[in-house]
Amino acid sequence: MPPYKTGLLKRKIPDESKEVEVNNSRSDEDEVLIRGELDAENDSTDSEHDDDNAASDTERDEILFHDSADSLLSDDEANESLAESSDLTDSEEDDESGDEESSHEEDGESNSDEDKAEEEKEAKPKTKAESEDSGAESGTGPTLSGSSDGSKKTKEKAINKKEFKQKPIKKKEFKPKPTKTKAVQKTTDSIDALANKIKETNVTIQPVQEKDEYESGDTSDEEERVNTAGAVPSWWYDEYEHVGYDVEGRRIARPPRRDRIDEFLRKCEDPEFWRTVRDPGTGQDIILSKQDLELIARIREGRVPNPEHDEYQPWVEWFSREVLATPLRAFPEHKRSFLPSREEQRHVSRIVHALKMGWMKTRKQIAEERKKSKEQKFYDLWGSSAAAGEGEGVRGLQRHIPAPRRPPPGHAESYNPPPEYLLDAKEMKEWNKLAQTPWKRKYTFLPTRHGSLREVAAYERFTRERFLRCLDLYLAPRAIKMRLTINPEDLVPKLPSPRDLQPFPTTEVLKFTGHTDLVRSIDFDPSGQYVVSGSDDGTVKVWETSSGRCLRTLALGCAVTRVAWTPAAGLSLLAAAAGRRLLLLNPGAGVGAHRVAARTDDLLAEPPPARDVVMDERTAACVQWETPDAAQWARGVRLSVTHFKPLLHLSWHARGDYLAATVEEAGARGVLVHQLSRRRSQLPFRRAPGRLQCAAFHPHRPLLFVATQRAVRVYDLVKQELVRKLLAGAQWISALALHPAGDNLLVASYDRKCMWFDLELSSKPYQTLRLHGGAVRAVAFHSRYPLFASAGDDQYIVVSHGMVYNDLLQNPLLVPLKQLRAPEPRGELCVLDVRFHPAQPWLLAAAADHTLRLYA
Amino acid sequence: MAAEPAEVQLQVRFVTKQEQYAVSDSPYAIQSNVQSSDLNTLVNALLKETKPSLQKSVEFDFLVCGELLCTTIAEHLQEKGVSTEDTLEIEYLERFPAPTPQECLMHDDWVSAVHTHGNWILSGSYDNSIHIWNTKGQHKLAIPGHTSPVKGVSWVSFNGDQAVFASGSHDQSAMLWVWNVTRNSVDCVVTCRGHDKGVECLAVAVDGTRFATGSWDNSICIWSTSLTDEDNVPAKKRSKPEQGNSREPMSTLKGHREAVSAVQWIDYNTILSSSWDHLLKLWDCELGGIKQEIAGNKAFFDADWSPLNNSMITASADRHVRLYDPRSTESIVKTTFTSHTGWVQSVRWSKTRDTLFLSAGYDGQVKLWETRSPRTPLYDLTGHEDKVLCCDWSNPSLLISGSCDNTVRIFKAKHAMESM
Repeated sequence: MPPYKTGLLKRKIPDESKEVEVNNSRSDEDEVLIRGELDAENDSTDSEHDDDNAASDTERDEILFHDSADSLLSDDEANESLAESSDLTDSEEDDESGDEESSHEEDGESNSDEDKAEEEKEAKPKTKAESEDSGAESGTGPTLSGSSDGSKKTKEKAINKKEFKQKPIKKKEFKPKPTKTKAVQKTTDSIDALANKIKETNVTIQPVQEKDEYESGDTSDEEERVNTAGAVPSWWYDEYEHVGYDVEGRRIARPPRRDRIDEFLRKCEDPEFWRTVRDPGTGQDIILSKQDLELIARIREGRVPNPEHDEYQPWVEWFSREVLATPLRAFPEHKRSFLPSREEQRHVSRIVHALKMGWMKTRKQIAEERKKSKEQKFYDLWGSSAAAGEGEGVRGLQRHIPAPRRPPPGHAESYNPPPEYLLDAKEMKEWNKLAQTPWKRKYTFLPTRHGSLREVAAYERFTRERFLRCLDLYLAPRAIKMRLTINPEDLVPKLPSPRDLQPFPTTEVLKFTGHTDLVRSIDFDPSGQYVVSGSDDGTVKVWETSSGRCLRTLALGCAVTRVAWTPAAGLSLLAAAAGRRLLLLNPGAGVGAHRVAARTDDLLAEPPPARDVVMDERTAACVQWETPDAAQWARGVRLSVTHFKPLLHLSWHARGDYLAATVEEAGARGVLVHQLSRRRSQLPFRRAPGRLQCAAFHPHRPLLFVATQRAVRVYDLVKQELVRKLLAGAQWISALALHPAGDNLLVASYDRKCMWFDLELSSKPYQTLRLHGGAVRAVAFHSRYPLFASAGDDQYIVVSHGMVYNDLLQNPLLVPLKQLRAPEPRGELCVLDVRFHPAQPWLLAAAADHTLRLYA
Repeated sequence: MAAEPAEVQLQVRFVTKQEQYAVSDSPYAIQSNVQSSDLNTLVNALLKETKPSLQKSVEFDFLVCGELLCTTIAEHLQEKGVSTEDTLEIEYLERFPAPTPQECLMHDDWVSAVHTHGNWILSGSYDNSIHIWNTKGQHKLAIPGHTSPVKGVSWVSFNGDQAVFASGSHDQSAMLWVWNVTRNSVDCVVTCRGHDKGVECLAVAVDGTRFATGSWDNSICIWSTSLTDEDNVPAKKRSKPEQGNSREPMSTLKGHREAVSAVQWIDYNTILSSSWDHLLKLWDCELGGIKQEIAGNKAFFDADWSPLNNSMITASADRHVRLYDPRSTESIVKTTFTSHTGWVQSVRWSKTRDTLFLSAGYDGQVKLWETRSPRTPLYDLTGHEDKVLCCDWSNPSLLISGSCDNTVRIFKAKHAMESM
């Protein structure tokens, strides 16, 4: 029952009871005071009565509380046990339930005290005698309880009990009973006493007020009789004569045990026996009062123990819809108080989000973390130290390298191998022979036959072998072999398909036969109708390209090393280097245009004026211009220039007036430039740039390219200076060809390489083409198609695509296209010269087998 | 297609354009693995039933899906991608009889040009001479006159005893000759000078009044064939005594960028020319302009045009013979004939059959082709031991070829006349 209700209850008590209450309160105060006196004097019954009365009143409130508390604790139990106890009424309440019972009974008794008090007010005379008795008894009660020896018949009356475990509450209840009876006595005494009391109370209002709370705490006189043994099992005192100690430390004597006969006698004798219970704490018998019984009865019936409690008291509408003049609450409940708070919702959602994102942790998580952090950490003894250093975890787990697998056991290792695995006599002999070198044996063990697996003896080397295996695994480092998986296609550079780069020569179509020795040099006439070839058989032959027909043979007497058709369209002239002589030949009327041939003859017939033919001495010592005699003229020779050394190479200037001749082993005089129109020669170099191989004019700029053994030097003929030096990176340069646009240069070398120089790029080769298996002797560019070819001592002529872009940003594109099968080599030599047809994508090769081959 | 062609039955119907060999139109079921020889016996058997008048059995060729049947029908259909389910229409025609080798005309040097008219064969050689033969192989005359290899010869006209022919040579001239048949004497009437370089080819117009020459100087010249030059030679030129009987071209067609390798007259006004610059050109002679241009991707060595089917065949710097249709504006090759193993140097249409032509190549082979059989020639005319430089089929019964082995070989085509 909430405190305010009690308040309410109190308020509802009728006025007379109020009076009594007032009295009570006074008497309470008095009681304390008197008690004090009493203690001092140990007498004065009157005051004691008052005291008791008052106490009973004060007690009422307390009981109300206790009651509720108790009933809450064990209502049903109480009911049951009470029922029992009422049945039994006698003895055998050894167990605790009995104790509780009794306590409840006492509660009930104490409750019923109030009723009693009220009743007594109405009918005092009637109960007088009774109360006197009880009063007498109870009056002596405290004193009795105070000393064990002073125990009287009340104690004798008490039911025999083994254990006395009792709580102070019980004492409280236990005590009031006698006081009440006294109170009854007191009321019967006199009114003047009451008046006195009122006076006293009036007088001592102040101290009472002070003492009020002190009194509530001070239950000293009650506690005198309390067993202070504490909450210890009562059987601890089984061996002793006492059952505990009172407040002053005196022993509380064990009440005498009664046997059944005693019980029976008491039952017969004592009319109060049925309502006598024994207090287990103190071992005293307590006679339940009428109020107690009523209380018990009410509890049993399941009603509110307090009979005064009105369950149906009128409801007070504290909060009503009626507008009060002084409302309890001045404002109505706001609507939002019925709606969930949005702010809270937002807050909660924020928290939830934070939890989700991990910004915030629940208490549980925090606790777990804390717990984890507190956990002891152990050093991973078996983890690899290197992996720990890298922080990638245990290496063995990350990239486990399995131990190399051993081959599974074979038939020979069986306990019962097939007979063919058992060693026969011969094999056994061999086995024994290899006793010194057991590793040479066929098996590491001797295949043996056993009747059953059970008969197989223990393998004596097991431990050792296992140990060795472990050593192997541990000591032999294992590593994952990283295999490179490279597609062969990926290594090949991305080049356009040769199919897209057509046309280019693919097959041999014509064979020009007629020479009787290897063909050293070939050249096309500017229109491509004719071919000229110079051979070691001392002849120069002119052929028809389309049919391979030899149209003209010019015998020169000695081996022809080089032939070159003049690039000038208006001339029918070809230059041939035969030994030390450079011959300018007119192939004749049958070849080419009559008119052109005639004009050429006219031009060359008459020598230029002598003043033009001025050569310094150095040059004059080297060369000698000769006009042929009639016989030679008839053979086609129009001019002859005799050099001091055999000629190596010839090349025409693009306009056809100049001719660069390279002479063998001549040092500084190795290159001579002849001018046809003036019939004079020049020695462009004063110093030998090196061992000269060949020289060529730039197609449209006044540049002379001179190939020495290791490098190609570019000279400016106007400024007469060295412009560039192209380092080929080859051991011995064999030939050189200029791209018709003039910016690219192809150099062949005897050490199987071709070097492509981009003159705008650098003086190092743009690309070095290793396409040949032998020395490369000739290279050629096509004048119209982006083609170039190289040939040499191996049996292939390689035709390549060499695209040169006008765009300066784009480098030349070189794609080898086709290996053309060259004719059979003669000795070391195979192909000595290659030339492209000036207009068609045809390639002519001068072969060592005395033929010329046309590929298309 | 059928996995096992041998199993398949075919429904075929035989049709022909040759009325005398017509058989009934009803379809026949035949095995798909039959070849043309089997079909031949079948058709002959059918013919015997329908036309008992025909005594001899006839050799037929069979056209399946527009192409000559050379393998089994199943393979042929598989190649063509034609279903074997439908009724197949097989056209048959009398087979061109195999040409028989006749004479071998020995020369002193390579034969570079050959032309026939009637019984007379004209051949030009690399030894600068022109030869006249009859079809029996008799050497009538050797005519020196050119100073360089003769590259083109052609008969111009026959007037009783007097025969006129033209020749072109690498000595930059073309010559008009008059040959008196009975007296067997020849006379160079006119020397046509106008080319700067050698004459490569020569063709006489259909009406015989003009001829055209193509040359290495990239131009084509058209000359008159009149033996007297009063009407078309300016008086000033005629007055020059040393010029004598020389003649200047009626017109010069310039436009090629490389040597002109062949000229042909299409009609009296139009010339077809082929050149090394990968172009075929149709010229209008009177205007001197180009009517049409067809580009190939190789240098052309020869071209011929047939009035019968109005299409041209070309030989170029590879082993293929290509059939062009000049009416198509795009230079689409209609058919490519591949069987030669070397460069094809010369091609000639049949004058009487629109589907036959002759080709001569550097592989020493002369091949007779049927336009509907692009992979297999009808006949290989073997015999030459070296490159074949020229061929001629002007006389429909004579297939003539000249070669680097110094010979002219004559093959005779039987029934060639009567088949039309």
